[in-house]
Amino acid sequence: MSKSYNIDVLDPLRFMARMEERQKRIEEAPAKEISSEYAVNKLAYALHPQKQFVRIQKVMERDADCKSFVLVPDAEKGTETLAYFSAGQYLTVFLDIEGMKLTRAYSISSSPKEALEGRYMLTVKYVQDGLASRYILDNWKEGDSVEVSAPEGFFEYNSLRDAETVVGVAGGSGITPFLSMAQAICDGDEEFNLILLYGSREAEHILFKEEFDSIMAKTDKVKVIHVLSHEEREGYEHGFVTADLIRKYAPETPYSVFLCGPQQMYTFVDKELEKLSLEKKYIRHELFGEMHNPKAQEDYPGGAPDTIRITVTVRDETRTVTGPANDSVLQILEKNGIRVPSRCRSGECGWCHSRLISGKVYIPKEIDGRRMADLKYGYIHPCAAFGLSDLEIEVPAAK
Amino acid sequence: MSRQYDVIVVGAGNGGLAAGGITSKNGLSTLVLERHNIPGGSATSFRRGRFEFETSLHELAEVGPNPFEGTVRQLFDELGAKDVEWHFEENAFRVVLPGEGGFDATLPTGEEAFADEMERQVPGCRESVKAVFDLGRHAIEAIGYLSKGAPDPAVLQSEYADFMRIASHTTKEVLDALHMPKRAQDILVTYWCYLGAPADQLDFLYYALMLILYVQLRPAMPKMRSHEMSLALEKAIHEHGGEIWYNSEVERILVKDGKAYGVVVDGKEIYAEHIICNSHMGNALSRLLPAEEIPEKMLKLANARDIALSFVTVYLGMNRSAEELGIHDYSNFVIPCADSREQYNRCCSIEDSGYAIMNCLNTVIPESSPEGTCTLFFTTMYYGDVWKDVKPEEYKKLKIKIAGEIIENCEKALGITLKPYIEEIVIAAPPTFARYLMTPRGTPYGYQFDMWDSMMMRTMNVEAEEPIKHLRFCGACGERGDGYSSAYISGMNTGLRTVRDAKEGK
Ligand SMILES: Cc1cc2nc3c(=O)[nH]c(=O)nc-3n(C[C@H](O)[C@H](O)[C@H](O)COP(=O)(O)OP(=O)(O)OC[C@H]3O[C@@H](n4cnc5c(N)ncnc54)[C@H](O)[C@@H]3O)c2cc1C
Ligand code: FES
Repeated sequence: MSKSYNIDVLDPLRFMARMEERQKRIEEAPAKEISSEYAVNKLAYALHPQKQFVRIQKVMERDADCKSFVLVPDAEKGTETLAYFSAGQYLTVFLDIEGMKLTRAYSISSSPKEALEGRYMLTVKYVQDGLASRYILDNWKEGDSVEVSAPEGFFEYNSLRDAETVVGVAGGSGITPFLSMAQAICDGDEEFNLILLYGSREAEHILFKEEFDSIMAKTDKVKVIHVLSHEEREGYEHGFVTADLIRKYAPETPYSVFLCGPQQMYTFVDKELEKLSLEKKYIRHELFGEMHNPKAQEDYPGGAPDTIRITVTVRDETRTVTGPANDSVLQILEKNGIRVPSRCRSGECGWCHSRLISGKVYIPKEIDGRRMADLKYGYIHPCAAFGLSDLEIEVPAAK
Repeated sequence: MSRQYDVIVVGAGNGGLAAGGITSKNGLSTLVLERHNIPGGSATSFRRGRFEFETSLHELAEVGPNPFEGTVRQLFDELGAKDVEWHFEENAFRVVLPGEGGFDATLPTGEEAFADEMERQVPGCRESVKAVFDLGRHAIEAIGYLSKGAPDPAVLQSEYADFMRIASHTTKEVLDALHMPKRAQDILVTYWCYLGAPADQLDFLYYALMLILYVQLRPAMPKMRSHEMSLALEKAIHEHGGEIWYNSEVERILVKDGKAYGVVVDGKEIYAEHIICNSHMGNALSRLLPAEEIPEKMLKLANARDIALSFVTVYLGMNRSAEELGIHDYSNFVIPCADSREQYNRCCSIEDSGYAIMNCLNTVIPESSPEGTCTLFFTTMYYGDVWKDVKPEEYKKLKIKIAGEIIENCEKALGITLKPYIEEIVIAAPPTFARYLMTPRGTPYGYQFDMWDSMMMRTMNVEAEEPIKHLRFCGACGERGDGYSSAYISGMNTGLRTVRDAKEGK
């Protein structure tokens, strides 16, 4: 058969020569040890350590129900430096409360620059009947050792996506990531204008008043407007954060709105934002953590027994535990002393990704952060799933 | 007491999943250990807002629309992972070199159509383009002959001399011998970056094979991103009685007297007859294997090699549809200069190289993001230790700067506007890949291809270069190098060799 090509100028015996070349190259190479010390891998590890051990250096009482904790590296346990982060990110703290293995997310309220100096600050506010917040406020004291995650989360500024001005809407402890952002702006580590509408009940409940005042004295890129819901006071806005209030302070040019606060605040402010017809890309919410009382959701199907039995396999160990249908699958496991990988507890981050082998769960649509194929192959995020029947699941080991 | 398995697979990347699929399917009790909490390694997806992004797949070779079955489809079928929904691209690629003397070529799939468009772009090149495909077919035939084992040198010389030529000469050398005009060569070798070596460093054999497989079988994309393929393989492993443990990093591979016999996870020993390592070979040599059990030849081979490239990738969720943005093609290669060696050189610094691939999944799978939106995926390459001096506090700013440059380069070259429509953005860089894949310098590509270390040279030496008994490797460091199909097939081959060893009681 005739060929469409002729490459006879190329020597076929080169093939043998290449084989010999290979052997020669290998023989001539040194037999030295292979390095695992690559700068890029070190940078990756510095930014995302698997865990961080910290010591509580200082506790600051903000008010009766709120404290700040300054955390420094616990070298004794192997943490020499703290991971750098992007203003707005959170840490997950690992707790062991009477055998229950809990995690909770807390936004870092200190600046990224301070992390380089070996300091994080977390600020924890008591949540009514809350398990972890009560424990932390009552128990964490100076000198204690605590385990936290690497910085996590996507509530951060990006100049390619966000407008030059951010209108921040904060409620209660939702102020924490904004304090970090304001400091980062002041330090020159972030470049955007922050107009913060900060809602508190009364002036005496305002967190970080002095800190923000001092930032505003240093930079005109940060502006804080206090909005009091239960008090009328000169120099303060009164009521809630409404569309009109945002209009009053927002610039003429496009602006982004970042929200961080309790779920009720989102429900209210989201309605107000509709009146402003902003593009979706200009509105960003921080997560609000676990959903409680799934039965209150409109699409809750019902029919769940009061108590759910969960047969759970972690590696080669299987256990059966029980818990109320009102608790997320994650909570039931944790309260039974099973450590489950988790970070956001809001359905988003995917750390708790687990295989549902049998049984039915309710997953509220708005917190269903699963990937498409997870639905096809029966995977759930236990932090955002509630049992509707007895369940059999496989959970990855907690690192 | 710790459990005993027939096979332990270290890592559930594409290679590890394929290997574990094969061994479990063939009745060997198999445990796959993965450090991350989901399978796939590079082959996964992530969510942001209302978007789900593909992490790394540009296009999958060797699937083939029914009934033209490529090896990857056969593998998935054979393992019982049949329910992946693949979509196929119409065009192979669009390549744009902006500026005077530049080109803008959209090459369709199908050999004739491809050759026609090449001829339209560079009159007089048609014959040489057809020759590339003919040589590709000849190569497939020759590989079929070789895979029967014990090739007869006389037959090789008489029947397969052209095969020996293309396996031992660079892409550039062969295209020159075919008298292909340089401009046509520059367009034809657009895919070089998928193998990570420019035309004067990459054997023609592998390039021609890749090109023919894309152009004939058409590039495929899974409907639900790579996570669908990874979960399909994971399910197959479960169905064949295998186990997968996540968040389970192997700390050491146990070896005694030249024979591997287990691994250590969380300080606990787990034993197995056979170990398959999907972790980068560099990790095995530097950390997993006991130093005194590493044969000198393995060290020398690793030291003779270079670590392959890494990437910066940018994922954009756009609040406009592809149509509204004026994007019609899936694969858009924007190149700063015509020659692949020059492109390579530019990627050896942290300065704006001008090189970018922009993929728009909605052109293949319109419903891959909500109505009125689309996702874009940008890739640029970095060779060597370019990122070594970056400090944690500079990292985010640097990523945003580079992403901005990539986006602007594509806007300019393709005549589109993107920046005002970015609703979600994620930027990954070599440290990101180092974090998720744990590979040296964050390479997803294994070791750098070179003529002495080409696919064929590696294939001929596979068994000789696995000197520790009962320990085999698969994935991007394997004989076929990087790429999804390569990793799947290397995992399959390693799995089959392990099954063979187990049957022979080796
Ligand atoms: C990203 C992120 C950042 C955060 N940053 C901060 C921060 O900086 N500072 C801060 O203080 N907090 C922050 N939080 C919130 C914090 O993580 C905790 O959610 C908070 O401390 C409450 O935890 P808890 O264990 O005390 O409450 P939980 O025990 O989780 O209970 C919370 C509430 O749910 C109610 N509840 C429980 N069960 C039911 C039920 N069945 N039906 C109805 N209601 C029920 C309880 O009565 C209680 O009021 C953040 C959360 C996220 C996700
Ligand atoms: S902990 Fe983040 S999704 Fe469950």
